[in-house]
This record gives sequence, structure tokens and C-alpha cells, in this order.
Amino acid sequence: MTVLKENTEPQTAPAVPATTEPRRRKPVGTRAYKVFRVAALVAVVLFLVAPLFWMLLASFKTNVDIYDTGKSFFFTPTGENYANVLQRNNYFVFIFNSFWVAFVSTALSLVLGVPAAYAMSRFTMHRSALVVLMARVIPGVSLLVPWYYVFSNLKMVGGFEVLILSHMFVSLPLIVYIMMSYFDSLPLELEESAQVDGLTPIGAFRRITLPLSVSGIATAGILSFIFSWNNFMFALVLSGSKTKTLPVAIFDFVSYASIDWGGLMAAATVVTIPIMIIALFTQKYIVSGLTAGATKG
Amino acid sequence: MSVLTPPRSAPSRKAARTPSARENFSGWANRHRKWLFAAPAMIFVGVLIVFPLAWTLYLSLTDSQGSVRAASEFVGLQNYLTVLSDVERFWPAVGRTLSFTGVALVCEVVLGMCIALLLWRPFRGEKWVRVAILLPLVATPVAVGMMWRLIFDPNIGFVNQLLGMVGIPAQPWLSGQDTALGTTIFMDVWQWTPMVVLILLAGLTSLSEEPDEAARMDGANAFQRFFFITLPLMMPTVIVAILLRGIDALKTFDILYATKGKGGGSFHEVETLNVYAYGLSFDYNQYGLSSAVLILFFMIIIGSMWLLTMRKKAVSK
Amino acid sequence: MKRRSIAKYAAVAAVLSLGLTACGGASGSTDAKTAGTVRVTLANHVWTEGIKAAIPEFEKSSGLKVELTQLGEDQLSDQYNVKLNAGSDEIDVMMYRPLQEGKAFAKNGYLADLTSKVSSDATWDWKDYQEGPVKATTADGKVVGVPIITEREVLYYRKDLLKAAGLEVPKTMDELEAAAKAIKASSPDTAGFVARTGKSAAVTQFSSFLYSFGGDFTDAGGKSAVNSDAAKKAYAFYGGLIKNYGPANVSTDMSWPEAMAIFTQGKAAFYTEADSLYKNATDPAKSKVADTVGFAALPAGPAGSKPYNIPSWGLAINQASSNQDNAWKFIQWATSKERTLEAQKAGVPGPRASVWADQAGTSTYPKDLAEAISASAKNGVGHDRPEVVTVGKAREIVGGPIVATITGSDASGAADTAHDAFQKFLDSEKK
Repeated sequence: MTVLKENTEPQTAPAVPATTEPRRRKPVGTRAYKVFRVAALVAVVLFLVAPLFWMLLASFKTNVDIYDTGKSFFFTPTGENYANVLQRNNYFVFIFNSFWVAFVSTALSLVLGVPAAYAMSRFTMHRSALVVLMARVIPGVSLLVPWYYVFSNLKMVGGFEVLILSHMFVSLPLIVYIMMSYFDSLPLELEESAQVDGLTPIGAFRRITLPLSVSGIATAGILSFIFSWNNFMFALVLSGSKTKTLPVAIFDFVSYASIDWGGLMAAATVVTIPIMIIALFTQKYIVSGLTAGATKG
Repeated sequence: MSVLTPPRSAPSRKAARTPSARENFSGWANRHRKWLFAAPAMIFVGVLIVFPLAWTLYLSLTDSQGSVRAASEFVGLQNYLTVLSDVERFWPAVGRTLSFTGVALVCEVVLGMCIALLLWRPFRGEKWVRVAILLPLVATPVAVGMMWRLIFDPNIGFVNQLLGMVGIPAQPWLSGQDTALGTTIFMDVWQWTPMVVLILLAGLTSLSEEPDEAARMDGANAFQRFFFITLPLMMPTVIVAILLRGIDALKTFDILYATKGKGGGSFHEVETLNVYAYGLSFDYNQYGLSSAVLILFFMIIIGSMWLLTMRKKAVSK
Repeated sequence: MKRRSIAKYAAVAAVLSLGLTACGGASGSTDAKTAGTVRVTLANHVWTEGIKAAIPEFEKSSGLKVELTQLGEDQLSDQYNVKLNAGSDEIDVMMYRPLQEGKAFAKNGYLADLTSKVSSDATWDWKDYQEGPVKATTADGKVVGVPIITEREVLYYRKDLLKAAGLEVPKTMDELEAAAKAIKASSPDTAGFVARTGKSAAVTQFSSFLYSFGGDFTDAGGKSAVNSDAAKKAYAFYGGLIKNYGPANVSTDMSWPEAMAIFTQGKAAFYTEADSLYKNATDPAKSKVADTVGFAALPAGPAGSKPYNIPSWGLAINQASSNQDNAWKFIQWATSKERTLEAQKAGVPGPRASVWADQAGTSTYPKDLAEAISASAKNGVGHDRPEVVTVGKAREIVGGPIVATITGSDASGAADTAHDAFQKFLDSEKK
């Protein structure tokens, strides 16, 4: 095929003068590059997706099949692992807990974080922003014991409060960071003209800036939801009987007497699938959130 | 809605005539909106940080162990001396933290740059590649750790099966003393290269075409154009990517805990500072020492961030 | 207009959720206060599965409501270290590892004194409990826990391989070594012997070898004894078995799941492990060698066959709990003779003498395993790791020479190094 094409090329472009010799080489290079590019992209996609696919496969195998290396790809699928995860291990409760904690902590963080980001962006409060962003830097281990100690003395343990507060601690800096760069990019003129028209500054923020920021807020909200959903360390030690979240529940399949690989993989799949579906439908928000502030000078 | 709107947006002349309590508040709020907006978030973070940090600082100066409620004595900087002279656990953990972060970052940035360049110009099926890129990024790290544990299992793992097919003997991967850290770095690279790709891609897309085009006219080849035109222009973005990833890489915990448990394995082969501090607290209950490690760890993170920010400023100029 | 309403909805949703958490929180803490609820925290275990299924029965007969938290063993101890540390009353009944955490928890005052409670009920019968397990759940003369699961180290072996090689079941350590050697030599793909190799994980399984060679972790005066002649021989023997006759490229990070996998995949002839894990080897869904696995008591060393016989798990009451009487009701029910028998039938070796005397108690066990267990219960040692407060650290120190010998270092030198470190550690705990 390639031979054929190379032969046809000079014929279709006989009029090209000799001086553009280097130019003519360019399309050839581009074609070789195209082949290379496709191959490389396929390799990248395989590298990223294959492990997840393997996890999915294993979640449909019995443990005997998982241990049988002859049955890597050809086996009789079973739904037993999922039945085990969802029914016998009450995963619907954990799914709800994860969802609830992620949802509430995100909502509250937005309420606190969006106005804060607005003020920090409009008044260039870089030092104050640093205080909030500090939360992203501090090692979580140092927070666990003190937090629990205080909250248990305040009789605030046993419900979702501690867990939600700890997740807000992760969400808030993220939201402030994303929203600050979002507000930085919003032109001031609109607000100014709204104020000339008689709106108070807060009114202008509410009526003009906020509606314009819906996509930014969505971005920040979705990302904060994902990070909260995935959070493990805080949930590991701060969750209780009624508040256990999915990342902690995964360990249910690693018990003293055995690792139930099939169940473990089914559980891992159950944890990751919802978040992946959300990610697929909100792709552009996630990308803009993750890259927020990256391209400023 | 329309009933509610007029009084609020009414011209200020009216407000001056009949200053109701509500309007007084509104005026006050508007005048102080800077702090009214910023303060709640700052107070929230402040309260949640200041107390634990102060407590940690205090504990690091005591010999607290067993239970934080048990009596403890003030020992000054003794814990810091103990930790800093500990060549068995602390310094190796520092080394592992830095090499984990360093190696992972280099791989992620180099690989991320290559992939970002591949994706730079539009092509068919771009949508699907972008989906594939997003998946590892949003996957729950603990679940990912479990997944890799199965894939890298020395006996039943898929990786060793693959190696077996091409005649390479089985490797211990996660359970090997020398291979465990590398394997966890691999996992980190798998999960977080996509993030670097997205950031770099955003940077590439916002680049102006002109310098590149000019260099092409001058006869520069693709490599020359990349190294002398694109890369220097991209440096600020690369540093942002390193900064964002670096903080998280230094603090990596989930996948290490999920794959190697407490203590980072028999030889503490994946014991980073975070894992070490966690073990000191929750396995040995040596809260004094653990706090000293955490304070030092915190200082390392702040220090490396500061260095990077300085570097970024220099590059941006 | 439309955009504005979106923003409004978002605001309303946020306020609502604020309110809801507040409500949720309030109801959460009032729930906790009601005396009719027992909050029980259990580890993932076969025992837990049985109890979980039977809880409705308890709720019906007692009128109490049980709120169960179930966690992996490491996650469990992480949670205890935060929650009990803070003096939280969020936990009433706690499942804990007497030998791993018992001393530390008791020292920190996390465990309620049960001495008067255990002796108050004659039908529940505290005297029925075996001596070794009871000792492990007693701290400073006070009973602080009730054992629920016991275990001993036994020898798992492959009947078919032994038969093919014309070998007898080894009775002594020397015979074990010879048999392992013979099997490894005849079929290079099959390891002669496998056991845990992880520095910390292997300590418990190594302990039986140590006792059988006549050693212990500490001497009578509480000083380190890990460099005694007996200990050095034991280290050399255990490490040597794995190094010489173990799987090729053996990992030095194996806990039981990895070691068990090697055995159940048919890749090893002998395996020493806790008896409580036997179902992993006999369950055809998990094991390829389910039909051919045999059990025997630990082979005798120079000091005889001295496996550990310990309570791996117990139930205790949180000292800070304001609900201790109901918590005790739960423990009383969960550890009753009937429930212990049920658990034992499900494959959980119980701590009560009566269930071992009962025919029904051993009926579900492979016959050779039941024999091995009763032999081990007689001459067993009551601990399988150093009896100290910071067990985690001690295990790493005394486990060092195991790994060193597996990787080919000299056992004697490694034991001397460990001895110095261990003595230093013991001194620091004394302070």
C-alpha cells in the first residue's frame, strides 16, 4: 500500500518546482509520523485501559478461575461476586454513604468556597488564598487524632459530621483554587456596568457573576465530588458503623482467613464505575478543572 | 421573583431616605464584602488546621506514647534529635519519599509531554482517546491499588503470565524487596500521567503558532522546533504540572497502604514519610516521635513547593 | 432568568443539605445515647459471619438493637487507635487481638475490667475456658477480654506427594527437612516446604519452631533471648528450610495469603500454618489440593513438639462506653456454649474445653486435623509473639533474622544483631 502511494505522489504533483525540495519531504515524513502516531496512541490507550479491563474480567470469575492461569481470558462468567458485594455485603448502604458524604461536603464547600474565591480573585488576596491552599499541603495523618479527639469531646461523632468536615477540608482548597482562576478570567466590565445600573456589589456578584460562573462551579463541584468519593485516609479512621464509605468497604474482602479476589475486584469495580460514568458525562468540566490555572504565566 | 427584585435593586437615593435595618445591613455587607466573602472559608480551614498543627507541634516536644491522653513529659527537641539521627527508618523513608516523587514526576512529565504532543493536533477518534485518558485519573486509588495487587501477584498475576509467554521468569514485583518501590511508582505513573497530559495539552493549545511556524520556515526540524521553541514556551506550564503533581506524590498514601499495608512491607521497602508517620502513630503509638516526623515532613513539602514556585517565577520572566 | 434560577436552586440545595446534615447528626448522636443499642465493632472473619447471621436472634431475645461495624483487621486497629485514643464512647463491644494489642490497650486503659462479670454467671461458665487463652486475655490480674477464636500451628502436607515419594508423615524436624529435601529433588517445580516469610508476619509461625528447639523470645527474667543457641538453631532451621527447599525466587514478604496460595496451587509439599486457616486448603473453590491435603501436629524439635496455642481474637468492652451492661449481654450471648459450638462447627476453633470434648464440636473437622489440634492444645505455648506493649515493633526486631537467613545470611550474626536491638527495645519499654 505505502509503495503504491509513494509512486503516485510525484505524478500528482509534477508542477512543484525543485526549490521546494524540502517541502516535498514533509508529507512523507508526516505519513510515517501518522503511522507512528496511530501506533503510539493505540499503545497509550491499551496501557491505560488494559488494567481496568483485567479488573473487570476478574470480577466475573470465580476464585478458582482467578487462580487458574489457563483461564485468563476464557472462562464461564459468573455474577456471583456482584451478588455477594451488593446483597450480602450491603454495598448499597456504602454507596449511599459515599454519595451522601461527597454530595454534602461538595455543596457546603461550594457555599464557603465560591464567595471566598471571588473575593480572593477580585481583591487579589494572595496571602489569604495561601491560608486556604495550605489545607492541600498539610499531611493528613497529623489531622486525624486531634480532629477525632475534639469532635468526640463535642459529642459530634457517630454521624456524618466528622467525615463531611474532613472531606470539606479536601474539597474547599480545590474549589477555591479552581474558582479563583475562573474568576480571574471573567472580565470585570460586566460587574462594573451592572453597578453603574444600580446593583450593589453583592447584587452584581449574585445577579451577574454567579450566573456566568455556572460552568466554573460545575467544574469545581464535579472535581470535588470525585476527590471526596475517592478519599480513603479520612474515611478509614473517621467513619463509623453507619457511615462507612466505599473505599474503606473494599477492605471487607481482605479478611484474616482469605482474600476473596473475585469479590475484591467486583467491589473495586463497583467503587470505580459510578465515578467513571460521572466522569464520562462531565468530561469537559473535569478537564477544565484539572488544568485550571495551569496556563497562566 | 419580580416582586422581590425591585427593593433590592432600587437606586441608593431611596435607601438614603428610609434606611431600614435590612438596608443598613446590606450597606454594611457591601462595604465589607471582601472579608465577608473570604472569612468563612478561611476561618473554616484555619480552625481545622491551627488546632491540629499546634497539637502536633506540642506532641513533638513531648514523649507522648501509648495514648495521647496518657501523661507525657516535655522533652524539648529530643524527638527531633532521635528522628534526625535515625538512619534505619527515617532517612531511608526520606530517600524513598524523594525518589518516589522524583522518579514518578520525571516519568509522568516525559511521558505526559510525549502523549500531549501526540494529541496536540486533532485526529479521528480523539474522543475515545480522551475518554481512555480520563479513566485512570478518576479511578479510586484504593481500588486501583487492589487491582494492581492482583495484576502483579507473583503467582497468579497477569504481568507474570505475560512475561512467562515470552520466556522471562516470574518477578516478585510488589513483594520483592528491590522491586516493590518501582512497582508502586509504576502504578502512580499509570494513574497520574493522564493528569499531566491534560495540563500540558491545555498549555500546548494556548501556545501561539507563530514562533513554531517561523522556525519551520527557517528550516528547523521537528526536534529542533520542540526543544528550542515549544519546550521553553511550555516551561511555566510544566512547572505548574510538577507543582500540582508533586504535592500529591509526596503525600501518596492510598495505593501504598492498599498494596503493602502498614509499615510498607517487610523491609519497609515502600515506607515513605507519610507511611512512616502513619505507622508510628497507629502501629507503634509513639505520638511524640510521629509528630516530630510529621513536622519535618511538612517542612519538606513546604520547602520543595517554595523552590518550585521560585523556579516558576524565574522561568516566567 | 433561567440562569438565575439555576443559581438559586444550587443555593437552596446547599442550604437544605446543611440542614439535613445537622438533623442527621443530631439523630445520630441521640441514637447513640439510647441504652437499647449496643455498638459492636468486629473484624472480618468466619466467626463474624456466623455471629452476623445470628444477631437477629439476639435482638429478639434481649430486646436490644445491635449496630455492627465490620472492618479488616488492620483497619480495625487503626480505628481503635483513633477512637479509643480520643476516649470515644462510640464503641461498646470491640473485637481485638489479645496478643497483638491486648497489652497496649490494657495499659492505656481502653479495656473495661470484666473480672466480676465473667464470674457472675455459672451457666455461661468462665471455668470452661482453656487456660492458655484465658491467660492472654488477663492483664495485671484483671480479666479484660473473653477469647473467641483460638489457633495453633499445625503441619499441612500433601498426601499424594508423600505417597509418590514413599515418605511417611514427618514426626520430627529432621524428618521434615529430609522429606522436604527429597521432594524438592525429585520434582524441581514443587517446593519441599513453604511458610510465611514476611519479617513481621512470619514471627508467629516461627515461634513454634523456636519453642520446639527449646528457645523463647525472652528468658525468665524478661531479658532478650533471641540469640540463645536454641534460638539461633531455630532461625537457621526455619530460614534454611525455605531457602533450600522453598519455592524458587521466594519472596520475603509473604504473609499467610501468599504462602497459602503457593500451597493450595499445588506448588509445595509441606506448609506450617495456623490451624484456623485450614478451610482455605480444604475448600475446593479456593484450593486445587482440597482432596489431597493432610494435617499433622507440628514435628518435634530437640525440645519436643511445642506449637503455640493462643487466642487470636477476643471480645472486650470499651472502658469509655456508657453502655457496659448491655455490651456484656452481647458478649455473654456471642460467647455462650451454644454459639461457640456453632462457630466451631463452621470451622472456627473455639476456646472452650467443652466444645472440644463434644463429638459435635469436632465432627466438621478433618479427622487428622482434629487429632493434631487436640495434641497441640495439650503441649501448646500460650503466646506466639513477644509479650510486650509495642508488639508491632518487637515483631520486626525478632523477625529480622528469619528474613536474613532466608536470603542467605548467617543466622547467628543476625540473631546477635536482633538480640541487641531487642534488649534495647525491652529496656525502653520498662521505663
